[in-house]
Amino acid sequence: MPVLEIASLAKRYGETAVFVDVNLVVRAGEFVAILGESGVGKSTLLNCIAGLDRIDAGSVRIDRVDVPALAEPAQAAFRRDHLGFVFQAFHVLPHLTVAANVGLPLLLQGRGDDARVQAMLAAVGLGGFEERLPQTLSGGQLQRVAIARALVHGPKLILADEPTGNLDPATADRIMTLLAAQVREQHAACLLATHSRAAADRADRIVTLTPQGIVR
Amino acid sequence: MNAEIARARSATLPTLLRKLSWPELRHHPWRNGAALLAVMLGVALAFSVHLINASALAEFSAAVRAVNGEPDLEIVGPPAGFDEALYARVAAHPQVAVASPVVEAETYAFDAAGKRVPIRIVGIDALVIAALSPALLPRPADAADRFAVLEPQALFLNAEAARRLEGAQSEGRIALQAAEGRRRLRVAGSVAAAGPPLAVMDIAGAQVALGLVGRLSRIDLRLAAGAEREGVIRDLVLPAGVRAAAPGEAEQRLSNVSRAYRVNLTVLALVAMFTGAFLVFSILSLSVAKRQQQLALLGVLGLPARGRLALVLGESALLGLVGSLLGLVLGALLAAFALQVLGGDLGGGFFGGMAPALRIDLVGALVYGGLGVGAALVGGWLPARAAQAIAPAQALKGLGPSRLGHRSIALGLPLMTAGIALALLPPIAGLPLAAYASVACLLIGGIACIPGGVALLLAAVRPPRRPLALLAVERARHDRDSATIAVAGVVASLALSVALTVMVASFRDAVSHWLDTVLPADLYVRAAIGPGGGDLATLPTSLPEAAAGLPGVRRAEAQRVVRASFDPARPSVAVISRPLDDPSRNLPLSGTLVDAPPGETAAFVSEAMVDLYGAHAGQRLLLPLPDGTRRQVFVRGVWRDYARQYGAIVLDARDWQRLTGDQRINDIALWLEPGANTGDVEAGLRRVASELGHDGALLEFAAPREIRAASLRIFDRSFAVTYWLQAVAIAIGLFGIAASFSAQVLARRKEFGLLSHLGLARAQIVAVVAAEGAVWTGVGAVLGLALGVAVSAVLVKVVNPQSFHWTMDLLLPWLRLGALCVAVIAAGTLTAWLSARAAIGRELALAVKEDW
Repeated sequence: MPVLEIASLAKRYGETAVFVDVNLVVRAGEFVAILGESGVGKSTLLNCIAGLDRIDAGSVRIDRVDVPALAEPAQAAFRRDHLGFVFQAFHVLPHLTVAANVGLPLLLQGRGDDARVQAMLAAVGLGGFEERLPQTLSGGQLQRVAIARALVHGPKLILADEPTGNLDPATADRIMTLLAAQVREQHAACLLATHSRAAADRADRIVTLTPQGIVR
Repeated sequence: MNAEIARARSATLPTLLRKLSWPELRHHPWRNGAALLAVMLGVALAFSVHLINASALAEFSAAVRAVNGEPDLEIVGPPAGFDEALYARVAAHPQVAVASPVVEAETYAFDAAGKRVPIRIVGIDALVIAALSPALLPRPADAADRFAVLEPQALFLNAEAARRLEGAQSEGRIALQAAEGRRRLRVAGSVAAAGPPLAVMDIAGAQVALGLVGRLSRIDLRLAAGAEREGVIRDLVLPAGVRAAAPGEAEQRLSNVSRAYRVNLTVLALVAMFTGAFLVFSILSLSVAKRQQQLALLGVLGLPARGRLALVLGESALLGLVGSLLGLVLGALLAAFALQVLGGDLGGGFFGGMAPALRIDLVGALVYGGLGVGAALVGGWLPARAAQAIAPAQALKGLGPSRLGHRSIALGLPLMTAGIALALLPPIAGLPLAAYASVACLLIGGIACIPGGVALLLAAVRPPRRPLALLAVERARHDRDSATIAVAGVVASLALSVALTVMVASFRDAVSHWLDTVLPADLYVRAAIGPGGGDLATLPTSLPEAAAGLPGVRRAEAQRVVRASFDPARPSVAVISRPLDDPSRNLPLSGTLVDAPPGETAAFVSEAMVDLYGAHAGQRLLLPLPDGTRRQVFVRGVWRDYARQYGAIVLDARDWQRLTGDQRINDIALWLEPGANTGDVEAGLRRVASELGHDGALLEFAAPREIRAASLRIFDRSFAVTYWLQAVAIAIGLFGIAASFSAQVLARRKEFGLLSHLGLARAQIVAVVAAEGAVWTGVGAVLGLALGVAVSAVLVKVVNPQSFHWTMDLLLPWLRLGALCVAVIAAGTLTAWLSARAAIGRELALAVKEDW
């Protein structure tokens, strides 16, 4: 059953087209990697999927919901309940503890679930780090926090944007192993945007983004 | 679909505030503490002024009610009173149940140290007073001495009089300044009336002591059941100058006397609240700017734009709420302290220096607490809008900082135009409400124009060639909101300071010049009259002539001052009679003189008479005379009077004596021979006065230097609150600069770290930040100075004449203003330098590795 359906998607900035006619389907539990050169629009594509950027043509449906057609508050609520994000630059809140950072999506949903947070931290190998502050962690550990945060609320789709871009090869390898394992364990679908062939190889399926669209 | 999804379960605002905002607020205790402090001080000042005003008015109203009682009707006469024969006619009216005759005047008693204590003497009929004014019912100290209430030499003191005159009794008697000199009266008991010093006497004794034999000040009436008030007034056919007054008129008049002063104080206090709001704005703007990526992350994770707006507004409300609560407590303490130290009028002189008890007003607390929260919300509105406008995807990449006010210039220019238009409107309900709105529009409009102004300025700057300058300019261009906040802080605080400085300097200068004109003589003598007691304590009419014959005295000129009531709802007007050989030299005229038509009596009115009674030069005016009749006078000119806010009229002494036959005098101005000994002249005059049957010891002498010094001392005390406000405004501005530059420097640590890697010394980096500080504070100082001068013009030219009915010239003390600007620029530069040093002092090289 498809979680994500993209049809004839196009995006332009002014007169410049970023991409046109992008078509892609991601099924439940599927791990898909989008490869592409820097600047080809991988991050823009993820933003368009999440409703963080406007589209110029086509459609994006997640779990049959036409996300771009929603109003901003509904888009935000949809992201809050159905999507998880992993970024290249980690983006953890510096004044919150590791546990509070991981629990952020649950907090925004209005439900606290300490047991779930602890389970996720244990799952990413950060058991016992609950009360630590982000500045005491390494880059790899910060990305583990980000992965735990992306999965803690049980989203249907994870959008990961160059999650290993700031890491050394060995740490990147471990992070990708962890991400793939956790995505499968949580029965989520994952769309990974990367320019790293090594990272993309962890996916079930690799597609390539060009200005003309998706090349299988 | 939209609604269904948006209705999904989400976190409540209190949860977000507790989990997300509280750690942030706690992480910057000093910064947020300053915002809290600003709100607290604003609320404290405003609430304390409100409590002081309310307590003083309540106390004074209670005192007025105690003295006036609760009659159905009052028959009141001119200041000199009316013939007591009227009493018999009034008391005999079939619909009058009780008629209580009263004679009253203000004079002095002498305390244990021989100093004068202002006291009100009220003469009553003890047999009827209980029905109408029970607080004035004499209570004999000795129960057996019941007939003391009818004894003409017996005095009954209220609590304040007894306190002030403690130890002054000699053989059970105290000394009063009476019509014919010092008079010793027996203290026989007390009265319950609260308020300032008061002594009750039997009416016959009071008439003798006050020189009002056969006269009454008023008759209080209790009408028979079913009596019709208007019918009784019609039946009585009151003589000229005597009228029926509604109960409560005196209270209303009192409230009117001090209203402009109280409103001005309140507005000044609200200005303090505005500066508090501005600090909240500065701090939350920087907080939002610093947290942009955090807020963007929350947006990505599902917090909608409105949620971010609510979060920042919630933070403002929290700061406002805590600040307001603390402010209310501090305000009550400040009010209690000020009431004890400065009295109920904060030195303004409206409530006779009494020290009323503090009355806590819950409604006032809610209003001012609400205003504090409101001010914080106003301060937080633009930062909250900036948080709402964040584009999460862009902001997460560190691109596209939010803008505080693209459209602010579109708002600023119309606001400033409205400010100019409002300044041209007349007063509303006797208050300069439109002018206050004008000042608010000018200030807010001027500040709103700053983002656009900064953008225009940066657009005009070419990219410099030197790398550090290039970095600074491009940084400012890219992130102009930070520069805007720093500049706006300087503009807001400096504009307020400049406006207050110019207003106070103009007023002080005007008063100083005015004193020079109205005090031309070398020595002044007066009969030490109490306030409003011009008919009670006079000097012998032949004293000026005798004084002129004393060795060392070149010339002596007498003056007579009486009160006249043009409008019962307003305080009375002072009528001054003195020789006017050359009015253009004798009076501080504010316009040209108009020649009086032949046969008409010339009068010169103060500016207040023009505003309050429309008495322009060239017009005729019906002048109320002490006997209750009115005579027409011709207004030849208008003069400035900074002493009597409710109007004064000057007539030539010969005209006054011709109109009234009143030869009495109150003051004498003496011109001395060069080298004359003032002490000898004073002693000579006391001796001559005694020879003429006056108590020479009661004469009061004052040299112009002393009057001038005392007047300016009172002036400075009245304006002390403005100096405090200036200090607060400048402190807030400097804090805004410090917060702005600290945040900028922290945000630029990566940039500085990179420069350090590229071989730039720390001192060079610190120098460039300090230079940026100097440039931005300089821009702010120029704009703040211009805006401050505009606001001061409204204060001096509109607010003052509309509030106090006097005009003055705008004096710009450039040296002080320049020093103020230089001090602000120096402080701004120093603050930027310190911020840079503190931020760069840490491990700069590591900054390039930081994620945040």
